Amino acid sequence: MSMIDVCRRALSDFYRHRYLHGVCLFTIALSVFIISAFSLFFINAGELMGAWQQGIRITAYLKPDVTKKQATDLAADIEQYAGVASVSYVSGKEGFAWLKKQLGAGSSLLSDLKENPLPDALEIHPAKNMAAMAGADRLAGKISEKPEVADVEYAREWMQRFYGIYNLFKVTAFVMAGLVFVAILFIVANTIRLILYSRREEIEITRIIGADEAFIKHPLYLEALMLGSFGGIAGLAMLYGAFFSLMPKLSPEGLLPFFQVRFLPVQLVLAVLISSMFVGWLGCYFSIRRFLRV
Amino acid sequence: MNAIDALDNQIIRFHAVTKHFGETYALRDLTFEVRKNDFLFITGPSGAGKSTLIKLLYMGERMSDGYAIIDGMNLSRIGRRQIPQLRRKIGVIFQDFKLIANRTVFQNVALVMEVAGFKSRSVIRQRVADLLELVGLPHQADAYPPTLSGGEKQRAAVARAMVGKPRIILADEPTASLDPDASERVLQLLRAAHARGATVLITTHDTRLLSRFDARVIYLESGRRVDAPAAAGNVND
Repeated sequence: MSMIDVCRRALSDFYRHRYLHGVCLFTIALSVFIISAFSLFFINAGELMGAWQQGIRITAYLKPDVTKKQATDLAADIEQYAGVASVSYVSGKEGFAWLKKQLGAGSSLLSDLKENPLPDALEIHPAKNMAAMAGADRLAGKISEKPEVADVEYAREWMQRFYGIYNLFKVTAFVMAGLVFVAILFIVANTIRLILYSRREEIEITRIIGADEAFIKHPLYLEALMLGSFGGIAGLAMLYGAFFSLMPKLSPEGLLPFFQVRFLPVQLVLAVLISSMFVGWLGCYFSIRRFLRV
Repeated sequence: MNAIDALDNQIIRFHAVTKHFGETYALRDLTFEVRKNDFLFITGPSGAGKSTLIKLLYMGERMSDGYAIIDGMNLSRIGRRQIPQLRRKIGVIFQDFKLIANRTVFQNVALVMEVAGFKSRSVIRQRVADLLELVGLPHQADAYPPTLSGGEKQRAAVARAMVGKPRIILADEPTASLDPDASERVLQLLRAAHARGATVLITTHDTRLLSRFDARVIYLESGRRVDAPAAAGNVND
């Protein structure tokens, strides 16, 4: 049987059983919509947390006698430490200017000061990973041992809480994705089984008149791949529609003015489509084995 | 005819075939031969094992013991992949027709040719049209089985059984659910298939049918082959 014959039979069977195929397609579309919506949420939430992470830093206040050269040398040294993303030097003057800017109208409070109370400092940004949090204490301790450093300050509790939430969030995302995938596979396999069950007499008759397994199986697999791909496209289209109708309410002037919510990246869209086809195929594979036993 | 010629002339050979489902025996120690282009009846009361015998012949079931050879293929050794090859040599007609409900009569008949690997749509169309003409259903080619009468369904099933030009036609109680006129028409078609060279094997419990044909008859009772007189009086249940 040629590929053209397989396609022709698959298409005509698809049409002949359009109601059940429609139900299965809708099930896959809904499943893809749910899993893609999860992905969209987790990706954007991850990016949002990443954006917050930019604000996490360790500040090392330098002793008054440390020169700028010594400070930049120390910055270069610290930058080599594991778990450090970047180190920047902030002079006392720059720090004072920043403070004044932050205080805005209240900056007049600082006008009585005869001299700048802020020492020069190094701002250390930890790497964006969990290991950085575990090592944050150690890193701060190591930096404080440097002779040029007078004091080390960082939002220890806040960082711990942040990374705790971030960690939980990631684990939850993986577990949810796994559970949803298994649930979807189960639903799709059972829906395809329903299709095969409704066609069991037809399959049995086709076998009695001499059809081999390939004659029966190939169009069914092709139908399952079509169901997977059409379902995937429909699910993603639903998500796309929902995303763009909700987008104006979220950003940039909406609920999250500082953050640009984005749709799924192209690679992920392709991965969802391929996974949806794979789920269709796998569902068909599990269901078909029962029906073709001699 | 010498022994080798006799063997050459056999298209079906059953030897000591037994089929049981757990503790229940459907066929016991059944031996018989069918020659090429034979027209044969297998008869017996309900539960005699007629339908099981048909199933064994098209490998709908595997035998439990003994051996059977059909057109050179040993059913006790046949592999799973060879079963379709065997089935393409056989046309089967069932009491309950077994037509695919959501395919037209034409599509039901044409499916056999698609399964057999015919590529040309025009050849398929012509052969199916000829067969529908033969069975008197050209006007029902586009009809779906549920809209046909019992007799028409069975004639469509006969067309399906004949379209692949099989060497053997098995008919399992083909007239059991038909009125006398429809039964007569189906039997005429089976005779036509026989006249075209097919070996025809019909199971029936209707003794009136047997009396109208000058054909070989095998009697079954409780899964065993029995002599004619003992069974003949019991076949009508």
